[in-house]
Amino acid sequence: MFELDEVIIERRCAETVLARRIVGAIPSGVLVREIDDAREAVLPARHASDPFGVGKRRMVVCRRKSPFLMACPAGSAKFACCGYLVLALASNCPMDCSYCFLQEYLADNPAFQVYANYTDAFGELDKLAAGSPERSFRVGTGELADSLAFDSMTAMSRDLVEFFSARENLTLELKTKTSEIENLLNADPRGRVMVSWTLSPDAVFRACEHRTAPPASRIAAARAVLDAGYRIAFHFDPLIAYEGAERDYLELIDRLTDSIPPEKTSFVSMGTLRMTPGLRAAARRRFPGDPMLCGEEVLGRDGRLRAFAPLRIRLYRALAERFKRAGAEIPAYLCMEPASIHERVFGDTPAKPAIIGQRLAEA
Amino acid sequence: MTRAQADSAGSIRILAESKRLPKACLDRWLSMDEGSRDALLSVAEDLRLRTGQIVTALDLLDEIAVRERVPPAAILSREELRRIIGGSGSGPARASAFLISLRSIRYPRLAAATEELRAEISALRLPRGVSLKLPKELGSDELTISIQAGNPAQLERAVAALTEKIGGLARIFDLLGGRG
Repeated sequence: MFELDEVIIERRCAETVLARRIVGAIPSGVLVREIDDAREAVLPARHASDPFGVGKRRMVVCRRKSPFLMACPAGSAKFACCGYLVLALASNCPMDCSYCFLQEYLADNPAFQVYANYTDAFGELDKLAAGSPERSFRVGTGELADSLAFDSMTAMSRDLVEFFSARENLTLELKTKTSEIENLLNADPRGRVMVSWTLSPDAVFRACEHRTAPPASRIAAARAVLDAGYRIAFHFDPLIAYEGAERDYLELIDRLTDSIPPEKTSFVSMGTLRMTPGLRAAARRRFPGDPMLCGEEVLGRDGRLRAFAPLRIRLYRALAERFKRAGAEIPAYLCMEPASIHERVFGDTPAKPAIIGQRLAEA
Repeated sequence: MTRAQADSAGSIRILAESKRLPKACLDRWLSMDEGSRDALLSVAEDLRLRTGQIVTALDLLDEIAVRERVPPAAILSREELRRIIGGSGSGPARASAFLISLRSIRYPRLAAATEELRAEISALRLPRGVSLKLPKELGSDELTISIQAGNPAQLERAVAALTEKIGGLARIFDLLGGRG
């Protein structure tokens, strides 16, 4: 599905299960080479006109030395956060969304890294679960990479589902914009695995979400994994407040609820497009003709550009009300928004992140 | 490149050099279609745009052109801009008005929302010493209300005025919260 120029394997990882799976799955014609130390290989190709784009096409199989489990990088005391925990099993993404924050976040190490020692994460997770057995945690792999975009090569999802399906207080969230669900359909999640999709109207998909699955395919994939015993959720994030956005998003919700009864959806999240000026400059440089990057975003107090407040609150509220009208109270939260905006949209004060996290893990 | 094109590019280079326009900006200007770069040159000369104003105009024109899928020349030929460019008044005043108008085209819904809110604030006719300040570029939903008082009686009058206008204030809060 995705084009790679080369696969670089750190020599000490060459005999790992992951490296063997990848070498066995890559299309012919893709160069494979081994190197002693991956540190150089993950750096940007400075001579290239688009170092970030080049990085996406270079898969590096290496060891992760830092912890796999971390707090969500979007989290902040300024926002009403969702208590999401991030499991970093890969870094960067073979898809290429024009608005993606990784363009700035990974500018200094843009290679598409996959961590051969990813099963070491299971020890960290067991420690987390054992440390607070009374709590439920929602842990996702879709923050620094798409959870499923490369699953046909790595089959990581099979190991993850097997691990999480046996843990009472851990919920795995696989977040994706693909329809790569084959491996999931052959596993039994036992209620502990949630698959979530970012959903966007066709206009956003066409303008911004390069190499992703079309929205209709994402909804169809969601239906399929739901039928296979997975919990499902949807992220309307980023919401882009272009002219006509409200109509398009409401139509998208109607299409979604026509395919999937609202009561079957564990939760929805919403978050309008937000970019630091640096991210915006990087995105505009890489996608100069994308009209979605030229919306009515203004600089907020947190140094990010977002649609001006009345515009985005109106959009949030319209979507929240449409879900309500669909006939089920779906748990919902806003990503990277302060409590005051949450109150404007949902009419109540948001709970603390840990509580929200617990609710979403159990939703 | 025709002679006319070469002349126009040369004039832009001369202007850019005199204004010390950054090279990246000059390159963007020269990469425009011929009609657009000439139209901007004409505006820059007529209004005697300063360096920063040229940079801002280039940014705004580029973003409007991408979003609306029209060339900058078509944007610059809009009536509201032509009126300012060809109007009376000093160069600096027209340059400032030109950029404000261009910015309204770049942010049309923000401009409309701000105008509506300002009209609501004005309609409150608050007494001297009481003022309302909208969040910068409507970047948040919070209204800043200031009271300037020199003694308890003035404070009491200001609070009474605000209380009396609570309906109008509620309308402003609603507009900031996307209702309206």
